[in-house]
Amino acid sequence: MRRRAGNAIGEPPVRMYHVSKSYMAGQYALHDVSFEVRRGEFLFLTGASGAGKTTLLELVFAAEEPSEGQILVLGRNVARLGAGAIPALRRRVGVVFQDFKLLEDRTVEENVRLALDVVGTPRRDARARVFGLLKSVGLQHRRFHHPLSLSGGEQQRVALARALVNEPEILLADEPTGNLDPELTIEIMDLIVKASTRGTTVIVATHDHSLIERYGKRVLRLEEGRIVEDIPAASGSIGASG
Amino acid sequence: MNRGLILISIAFANALRGIRSASTTSSLAVLTIAIVLVLVGSASLLVENMAGLLDEFGAELQLTAYLEPSMTEEELHLLAESVAAAPGVDHVDIVTRAEALARFEKIAGGSELLAGLDENPLPASLEIHLRPEARTAEALEILRSSLDGLPGIEELAQGQEWIEGYSRVVALARSGAFAISIVLGMAALLIVANTIRLAVYARRDELEILALVGASRTFVRVPFVLEGTIQGLLGGLLALCVIYGAYVLFLPQISFGLELVLGQAELRFFTTSEAIRLVASGGGLGLLGSITALVGGRT
Repeated sequence: MRRRAGNAIGEPPVRMYHVSKSYMAGQYALHDVSFEVRRGEFLFLTGASGAGKTTLLELVFAAEEPSEGQILVLGRNVARLGAGAIPALRRRVGVVFQDFKLLEDRTVEENVRLALDVVGTPRRDARARVFGLLKSVGLQHRRFHHPLSLSGGEQQRVALARALVNEPEILLADEPTGNLDPELTIEIMDLIVKASTRGTTVIVATHDHSLIERYGKRVLRLEEGRIVEDIPAASGSIGASG
Repeated sequence: MNRGLILISIAFANALRGIRSASTTSSLAVLTIAIVLVLVGSASLLVENMAGLLDEFGAELQLTAYLEPSMTEEELHLLAESVAAAPGVDHVDIVTRAEALARFEKIAGGSELLAGLDENPLPASLEIHLRPEARTAEALEILRSSLDGLPGIEELAQGQEWIEGYSRVVALARSGAFAISIVLGMAALLIVANTIRLAVYARRDELEILALVGASRTFVRVPFVLEGTIQGLLGGLLALCVIYGAYVLFLPQISFGLELVLGQAELRFFTTSEAIRLVASGGGLGLLGSITALVGGRT
């Protein structure tokens, strides 16, 4: 994985210090949250709906600003990032959502290439990289298809390929298997775990306890916007690196 | 290819994709700009033709000073020299009494009308030709007052007085066309701006995804600016074609009437640079419209 300027080697890529997020006075989506995630670590965020999992991910990729506290992502203070600096940070952070967020009028290849287009990658290099990544998620033969002609699992693999094509240092996934059946869920999770074994820091928000048990990774459990449990990774967890 | 060129080519591809995907609203914007430019372009073509006629007739604009019959030839030449030095005078032609008679006989078709008179009744005169910048009401007035005091001039006559009125009409038409252009231009600008706003709204999912993958504001906005500019240029081209079509179709039908009123004067079409300006002003409208839509927008 490429290393880029911003944070020193060994420095945790995600650090939160007493972070709170409030949309209405006195009501907190996140309240006094502090934690760190090490480089290459795999972290499950869990909790009931409304516990603050999505808000926490949004703070990491600078879609929201904290109301209180400090967030350091790849060495940058998210609260102090100017509008012009946010895109540069996001190019180092891949994001996957439950609803895939693919463009229906573009082919699989064009959807994945989007992340390379925004940085002006030459077309030939971009095609080669997209092909390699689609091959790694088993979709190279579907690259000229449109998303609506793919199954849910295939669409999520395309979204994952798009999130990984820029070789991000952090991968965030918000309920990435929420729309998939159990077999496809394992398929997608295996791909995400594989990314973490290559050194990418991964944070997956899920309320699926079977996944948390299966992979044995570190777990942060949220309740009403507070961290109520921080369970370290089990030794010998699947794809163990974190 | 360097990174800048790659980004420009991607922006163009995205702009064309945007126009294709919202073909109805894009066509509406093109059509609106075309209608505005047909109206503004036709008005400006008409005004330019009127101004052209003014120049043509203005060249013949002159003052005629009729002289006292008692003047000797020497006095005549001295007076002509003084008049030639007056403000706004280009040159002076002397018409002696004999020449005036010859002209009259030529126009009247013989000398029968004057045959009963003992002597030539026509006075000598000075035909005073004006410099182009002196062909205005104010300059003519100054010249008149400076000639009034010269001895030997019996009467000053101004030929083609209608030109003065015509020149006022042209100036009025030019100001009117300018004012109408501003109003219609603003209307077109707002329509283009709204079209771009609609395009931004229609593509909000795409913009959200672009933001997620780290697209800069410039990367997101430039395709919309190009989209507006392309729509404007297409509108300009369409307007040019419509005006040319009308010119070719209707000119033969009005040229007879035109000849009766204006003699040999002929209506001209836009010059190449004027045609380019018309199309470019469409592009400019589109550019400004899209910038208006994006300034302060949430893209």
